[in-house]
Amino acid sequence: METDMNLQEKEIRLADFNVVKKLWPFIRPFAWMLILSTFLVTLVTCFELLMPLFIQKAFDGFIVPVGLEKGIQILGFKIESFKTFCMFFSMFILTSFVIDFFQSLFMEYTGQKIILNLRCTLFSHMTFLPVAFYDKNSSGRLVSRVAGDVENMNEMFTSVLIFIFKDLMMMAGILLILYFIDIKLAFYLTLLVPFIVISIVLFSKILRNAFRTIRQKLAEINHSFSEALTGIKIIQTTASQNSFLQRFKDLNFEHFTAAVFQIKIFSIFMPFIGFLGVLSVAIIIWGGSFGVVEKSLTLGELVAFLTYMKLFFRPLRELSEKFNLLQSAMASAERIVNVLNNDKAKQRISKTRQRIDKISSITFDQVNFSYDQKTMVLKNISFHLGKGESIGIVGQTGSGKSSIINLITGFYKAYDGNIFINHINTNSINIKDIRNKTALVMQDPVLFSGTIRENIAPSGMDMDNARLEKALHNGNCDFLFETFSGLDTMIKEGGRPLSSGQKQLVCIARAFAFNPDLIIFDEATSYMDSQSEQKVHDAMNKLMKGRLSIIIAHRLSTVRNCDTILLLRDKKIREQGSHRKLVRLKGEYYHLLKKERI
Amino acid sequence: MKLIYPYFRKNFYKILVGILCMIIVDALQLVIPQIIKNAIDTLSTGSFDNKILIFQCGYIVFLGLFMAVFRYGWRNLLMTSARNVEQGIRDDLFKHILSLDMAYLDKVKTGDIMAHATSDINHIRMAFGFGLIVIVDTILLGGATLAIMIWTHPKLTALAMIPMPFLILATRILGKKMHAFHKTAQESFSQLTELVRESFFGIRIIKVFNFESIISNKVEDASTDYFKKNLKRAFVTALIKPLLVFFLNLSTLVVIFYGGFLVMKRVITPGELVAFFQYLGILAWPVIALGWMTNLFQRGMASLKRINTLLDSMPGVSSPENPNILSKIKGNIGFKNVGFGYDKGKAILSNINFKINPGSSIGISGPPGSGKSSLIQLIPRLYNTTAGKITIDGFDLNTLDLDFLRGNIAFMPQESFLFSGTIKENILMGKNVDKERLDQIIQVCCLKDTLEKMPDGLDTLVGERGITLSGGQKQRIALARTLMHQKPIIILDDPISQVDTHTASKIISQLNQMNLNATFIIISHRISALASCNTIFIMKNGGINHSGTHENLIQTDRFYKESYQVQQYEERYGD
Repeated sequence: METDMNLQEKEIRLADFNVVKKLWPFIRPFAWMLILSTFLVTLVTCFELLMPLFIQKAFDGFIVPVGLEKGIQILGFKIESFKTFCMFFSMFILTSFVIDFFQSLFMEYTGQKIILNLRCTLFSHMTFLPVAFYDKNSSGRLVSRVAGDVENMNEMFTSVLIFIFKDLMMMAGILLILYFIDIKLAFYLTLLVPFIVISIVLFSKILRNAFRTIRQKLAEINHSFSEALTGIKIIQTTASQNSFLQRFKDLNFEHFTAAVFQIKIFSIFMPFIGFLGVLSVAIIIWGGSFGVVEKSLTLGELVAFLTYMKLFFRPLRELSEKFNLLQSAMASAERIVNVLNNDKAKQRISKTRQRIDKISSITFDQVNFSYDQKTMVLKNISFHLGKGESIGIVGQTGSGKSSIINLITGFYKAYDGNIFINHINTNSINIKDIRNKTALVMQDPVLFSGTIRENIAPSGMDMDNARLEKALHNGNCDFLFETFSGLDTMIKEGGRPLSSGQKQLVCIARAFAFNPDLIIFDEATSYMDSQSEQKVHDAMNKLMKGRLSIIIAHRLSTVRNCDTILLLRDKKIREQGSHRKLVRLKGEYYHLLKKERI
Repeated sequence: MKLIYPYFRKNFYKILVGILCMIIVDALQLVIPQIIKNAIDTLSTGSFDNKILIFQCGYIVFLGLFMAVFRYGWRNLLMTSARNVEQGIRDDLFKHILSLDMAYLDKVKTGDIMAHATSDINHIRMAFGFGLIVIVDTILLGGATLAIMIWTHPKLTALAMIPMPFLILATRILGKKMHAFHKTAQESFSQLTELVRESFFGIRIIKVFNFESIISNKVEDASTDYFKKNLKRAFVTALIKPLLVFFLNLSTLVVIFYGGFLVMKRVITPGELVAFFQYLGILAWPVIALGWMTNLFQRGMASLKRINTLLDSMPGVSSPENPNILSKIKGNIGFKNVGFGYDKGKAILSNINFKINPGSSIGISGPPGSGKSSLIQLIPRLYNTTAGKITIDGFDLNTLDLDFLRGNIAFMPQESFLFSGTIKENILMGKNVDKERLDQIIQVCCLKDTLEKMPDGLDTLVGERGITLSGGQKQRIALARTLMHQKPIIILDDPISQVDTHTASKIISQLNQMNLNATFIIISHRISALASCNTIFIMKNGGINHSGTHENLIQTDRFYKESYQVQQYEERYGD
């Protein structure tokens, strides 16, 4: 598995066609907005470019008039009075402000809109990915796909577009205008361009490495902090504060050194660009003076040259930064595309597809299963669960208990052998039909932030209060009405303020509300104090009544009343039968039981 | 302020020279428009002198070179100083955290301390670094530019300056607004992130209950909320730059109109007008920075205050001012009427009394929550007692130097935590290697085979970027860490709970054979670990219920007897 670090730092070719192709459908609906944004950017650039031109006109037309006639031509209009010109100029400033503002806002809006759409589609795509995908990838990484990476993409639509369309266009525009005004002088200035380009490419390359080192060191520093906080007992009792502090200081110093290196790079780059700016002024004064003397250049044009050069150098300082932003946006885009390239969990249902509207029996017939096609996790599993029956599965961690559930619920497929529901092979049943009639209660109670109501029947699901309250009552959740605010109790991050036992009861109530035919408990009472465990057991028993149920437990007492008990060890069923039968057998189950009793 | 003062002093010369460089750059920067002015005035009068022109251009290039050198100087010196402050504060913070006591750390959130270490320090660096630069720049560059402009023509300057106060105000207000909106957007974003995290965590439930589309809708709502809040921020951000440009352009308008009028009236020369434009461009930065800087400074000060509060929090457990000096600890431990509770008024332990002789071994057992771990944590003073007193060799714990006390106790906490690094680093904890001892300890902790199977043996990386170890492996490494250095008191909190029965018995018997030469206290549920102890305490509800030898307790204590029977059975049938 590739580490996050590697992925993050991987260099991406700027115009990776595949990434663009894959993301195009997300951009296409907003293409007109992007085009409009681009148009607005162009307009703003034009306005900025016109500014010095106006000043030049003011100089040549009014302030230091060339020739005898006062006044200037703008867009075919002849402006004779200086006052009119100033009126015109103020209108121009105001318009450019409005357009500039509107352009910035619209561009942000466009970017955010695309991002919103991308994020929702990406998330919804991910929810339909098979469970195997979630087991393979750490959840932190998946979360950052939807959160951070999508956020990074936003840069692409704002900074990068501005970079390409505004800064580059403006610089090109400036050169073009300069050539129109005076070819010779403009040519001299163009000689500076290669120096600028080379220095920017060089510096952004060095800077990228510097930034990367700083980022890595900072991550290590943060890690040290959190580690020190978690391991404080050990640090203090082994009296190793000093060595830890020393190690931290070294790390902190490395970060400092990297930062200083970055400062050095900037302290060379920025003054260098600044020097080129000053050099351009000298060139303009030199060449311009000759021009003015030879009357090929007006004084106003000389001033315009100076102002344009200032405009030309302005975006240069941020160019390398934007370049790096673009790189990281592309890296994020590629990671997102990688997720989108995962196919949704699809089910190939054979032609003889059969509908089921209830589950009345489950049969495993010689099922073998492996997650990775190498190590088997289930070998030759056969059992039958008939109407209203319950089955208990016990065994050590790694014995394959949870894999059985993964197969019944269709989280994983690709097994050998047959699984039947109502004597129909599950391959020809739509998995949705099965899940519609199945409820699952897991070891870690899963509650989402929101109200209890939303947790049991998320909005959009049609359930009235009476039904919800009944489900809560059946799930022994009366405490919600007594100490909390009933259906409207707000659940915060991590299930607060409920205790773990209470959370589990809510999960059972959720199962009640859906009135399933099959109910699966996966270690539902592990790590619980005995009082809460009693309550949960009680609710479980109520829920199991009249339904098919599968209970996975590591404690034998939990499954004692099941109709059938499967004892799993080392991927196989070792013993199978009722509690009484297994006790009489005096085999593994019997021994385990004895062990637990004492 | 007192937090950064030492760094000011330490970097005094750097900062001084840095500021000096900046002053020089600022001054040189102001000369260039003057040269331009002269050149243009010469041209507008129609005269032309090649020599003067060469001199002027050469002068400009020369100034440019000088500016570049001094710019390099101030950037390097001032920014490095800012980084130095950052580094120093971070060191202080880390050092302080290491000295904090458990009772304090139980109360604060890890996330808060992390925030101090990251964003607060960053704010301080920004305020200190950029703040300094901006102050000097604003005062010098802004002041000097303004002075020259006023000197050229006071009235024109006054008129040109009209939009400036608005500009400062706008940066300040909008900057504040932007920060506030950014914060709300950030909150919305973390809600969204949490929702996504929850959904992925509960993906199985979502699939079984067919919640896919519903949860997608929820995420869509959250994303839309974030979108809306972000748009608010975007509105302000989009307004800032065009508004700044607008105000600056207004100044330009004034200069053109009134300045142009003045030139026509021959009050000022065309060159002066051009210079005026140049100065206006120079002035833009200090004025924009002024509004921005005040916000930056406010944030930096708030962060400084927060970090100060943390640094000022005195560790609740600390060395006495005049500790009793002992040359050596023999290992006598006495508890006299000791009581303890994590929260006030809620006692976990009460009225504990016992005496342990040097070199003897004590086993502790009892049901969960009976106070075993709380009891032993008091000996290295991870927490202070709330009643009674604990003595070591007859001296009250509180009268001993804390480092001395802890340096004489080998303590293994219940949760076996490994730091990211190599296994060797985790065992040695930054102390010197005694190769022989290390080999012996590895043998005792049954780590030899385990280490041989690992890619790099003792140098295998564990933790975040290393391999993942099982609970039992972690525990054995943690045990090795505890035993590595010979100490007169050894305290182990459930050291073999996650190790399989067979290995556990082996470790215990090897521990017994080893000449520990120390007072030995062990908490365990395994009878095999307790049986050989001189005395065994059975705890119940925060007190010692029974104590005695193995043989005694089998007769007298029900909990012990039952545990014994279970484990007898396990050994016969288990594994």
